[in-house]
Amino acid sequence: MSTAADPHDEGQPTRDEIQAARFRELAALAPDDQRRSALRGDLVADHMDLARNLARKFDRRGDQLEDLVQVATIGLIKAVDRFEADRGNFYAFAIPTIMGELRRHFRDTGWAVRVPRQLKELHVTVAAGRNELSQKLGRAPKPSELADHLGLTKEQVYEALVASAAKQGTSLDARLAEPAGDRFGYEDDRLAEVDNRRALGPLLAELPEREQKIIVLRFFRGMSQADIARRVGVSQMQVSRLLAKTLERLRAALGEDTLAG
Amino acid sequence: MSEVETSPVARSHGVRDVEVRVWADAEQVPLLRSFAADIAMRMDFDLDAIEDLRMAVDEACSLLVRGAAEDSSLYCWFEPEVHGVRVRVQVDSEHSRPPSADPMGWQILTALAASVTERVTAVDGGYRVQVELLAVPGPAETEPR
Repeated sequence: MSTAADPHDEGQPTRDEIQAARFRELAALAPDDQRRSALRGDLVADHMDLARNLARKFDRRGDQLEDLVQVATIGLIKAVDRFEADRGNFYAFAIPTIMGELRRHFRDTGWAVRVPRQLKELHVTVAAGRNELSQKLGRAPKPSELADHLGLTKEQVYEALVASAAKQGTSLDARLAEPAGDRFGYEDDRLAEVDNRRALGPLLAELPEREQKIIVLRFFRGMSQADIARRVGVSQMQVSRLLAKTLERLRAALGEDTLAG
Repeated sequence: MSEVETSPVARSHGVRDVEVRVWADAEQVPLLRSFAADIAMRMDFDLDAIEDLRMAVDEACSLLVRGAAEDSSLYCWFEPEVHGVRVRVQVDSEHSRPPSADPMGWQILTALAASVTERVTAVDGGYRVQVELLAVPGPAETEPR
């Protein structure tokens, strides 16, 4: 990155310069200095977006993004520790370091079964080819298409595909532990009403007598507003107003807005 | 106990009929699952179709093994055809409960295979339960691009 296009005044340090200064400060501090670990932590935290971004690029099927972010963070910490401020831009150094850490993770770990390194690299090649071809074809590629695309023999592709199946082991007990029978389940969609009904009782009891009576006549006896007006001895307009006001009060007390008027 | 026989007649893709017999035991199912995937791979199914068949065979075998008689065998035949591979799995059982009695498992199976049929026949002292499914190589065959 060049500083030629920097809009700041001559005297003002650029972002890059501030950055470089922080790294120089880090390098100057003794390993057991408390300020060192604080500064190191800050520098790592400031670049977490970079680690997250790179991890996302490796987020293939079956790999937990969170795990990859952890791996990328380790790469970032290494980059912070090893970066020499005089040798240029931090990003130019950190990106290959983090990518290297992620690649190593894919090559060496994440395999439940020990697989020769050559095969692991073949697996990475085939996985990349699979992504490319899937995009191009709009469907999953066939082994023969992968072989053509990658310049491999079909047997090599077969080997890589069989190896990928061994990437994650499954406990032999897993299937045995599975419950038999109907496994469709869902939450009762009227479950929340139970709570509301229970809560409503005391709230109704607190209402003034007239309002209580109107609610009971309207919702428990199902009477019309005109009938209620005659019973209670007020106008229908008033019944309507009182109902609206009472319902609003009950809704507010229940903390929700699904009570039907 | 694991036996494998291949037919003497070569079929399309160089893959021949295969017959596999294992103990009717959940622990043996992964073996058949891998077998199915390998065959599909060698028949040049697309990668999604390979996974579909792997899971379909897993499900079909699991459904059968659950009801299988003790110390019995799980038979599995793979028969490559021009438009796909036909897979038949079979166990002997003491009762006539069909595999489709497990709604979840059956739904998975029918979703993964092009067609699925089941058959329960009475045999000496029990029942023979069979699932037959047809798997196809993927959308490349049906809708050329």
